[in-house]
Amino acid sequence: MRMLLRLKDLLEYVGGSADTPPEGFRPLSPVALGLYWGLLICAILAFSGQASKFIYIDF
Amino acid sequence: MIFNTLAYFLLFLIPGAILFRGLSPAARPWLCAVLGALFFVYFSLTELGGVLGAACLAIFVWEALCSRFYQPGSVVCLLGVVQSILFLAVFKYWNFLTGLVFGPREVNPLYWQGAFLPLGISFFTFEFIHYAVDRYRDKAREGGLGQYMAFILFFPTMVAGPIKRYQDFLPKLEAPSTDWRTDWERGTTRILCGLAKKFVIADTLTAMTGHLNAADIAVADRAVLPVWLLAYGMQIYFDFSAYSDIAIGSTRLFGIKVPENFDWPYLRTNIAEFWRHWHISLSRWLTDYVFIPLGGSRRAPAIVCANLMVTMLVSGVWHGAGMNFVVWGLWHGTLLVLHRLWSQWRGARKGAPTAAGQALSWALTFVMVNLGWAFFCMDLPTALLFFRRLFLG
Repeated sequence: MRMLLRLKDLLEYVGGSADTPPEGFRPLSPVALGLYWGLLICAILAFSGQASKFIYIDF
Repeated sequence: MIFNTLAYFLLFLIPGAILFRGLSPAARPWLCAVLGALFFVYFSLTELGGVLGAACLAIFVWEALCSRFYQPGSVVCLLGVVQSILFLAVFKYWNFLTGLVFGPREVNPLYWQGAFLPLGISFFTFEFIHYAVDRYRDKAREGGLGQYMAFILFFPTMVAGPIKRYQDFLPKLEAPSTDWRTDWERGTTRILCGLAKKFVIADTLTAMTGHLNAADIAVADRAVLPVWLLAYGMQIYFDFSAYSDIAIGSTRLFGIKVPENFDWPYLRTNIAEFWRHWHISLSRWLTDYVFIPLGGSRRAPAIVCANLMVTMLVSGVWHGAGMNFVVWGLWHGTLLVLHRLWSQWRGARKGAPTAAGQALSWALTFVMVNLGWAFFCMDLPTALLFFRRLFLG
């Protein structure tokens, strides 16, 4: 259970919703952050064009 | 679209956030108001509503002027609530409500052929109502005209929330965070993760959820039906939480934190907990402005159950003008009532639940929430066909 909670905290940090990483993890260095953003941008570009609007707009 | 367009980022978010940081505190609310107005007009013209939609900017101006007359205990606040409900009723429910009286569009003399939805009307009217009620209750200070216009026109949250509270927003507008580095680093990460959730997960699931229509359901293998519905349950979560991530990340670039909307709702072990962690800003709004005014949970058990049903009915109807949304709201109302009765019965008999009990509660909650999505994503006849095929073959 403790491990799952740490995983949740870690996901919240890498997802941008928590300001600090869970205990025992260091914040991402600028290089690691740049690589992470690059990876996310590649994934976004690779999957873009499936063309659907957000469900909650003019629902 | 909006949040997944380059125009949002290049024309509004990045220049807006930089300008906001550079301007004097007195000018910041007016920048938010002007940018919000431009945002509303631009995306009304390009995405939704057209010229008439753009003209609905007048609703914001009218509301801002009316808000100057909202005083504690004043009847004007109640008129403000009524006019906000009217805005929503006319634009969103006109054809639905007149259809209930006169029948389908072919025979409905009041049918509005050119009906359209102003951008974000479901959300901004709820913020209008919140302000009017909280001014009436003397729970929100008046603030300046520019500050109120910044609140209602703050573009990152204008279209689909999170639904803000004026008393939370105003101090952040007056004294935004000055930690540029953390705000931009966390905000950008959140926006990129939101976009990735939308494009990589939510949009990819469309391949399965696109089959949730009468023609496909009628001929589908029975075993695949729950997979399609589960895919929709995942899609709506990733889609809306992605939207909220982008909205919240965008506000971080301004140095402003707005309420969270999701907190791992699918991991919750009962329906009440689910609603405390799913679309949190809406759930809190419904609690404060519907459930509690009805009497909340401090009434006789039968009245509390009725209050829950009415609140969830309002939630259902708010989500859409159709009988399927009415049924979806009643579905969740019934689940909440059953959970309340169960908790009261069980609470009097036993201690803490066992791990197996927790697992069973989670599974039951997850299944019931996902079955409910059938009413959300399909019209009523199609949803009933879906259940007939799912359970009877």
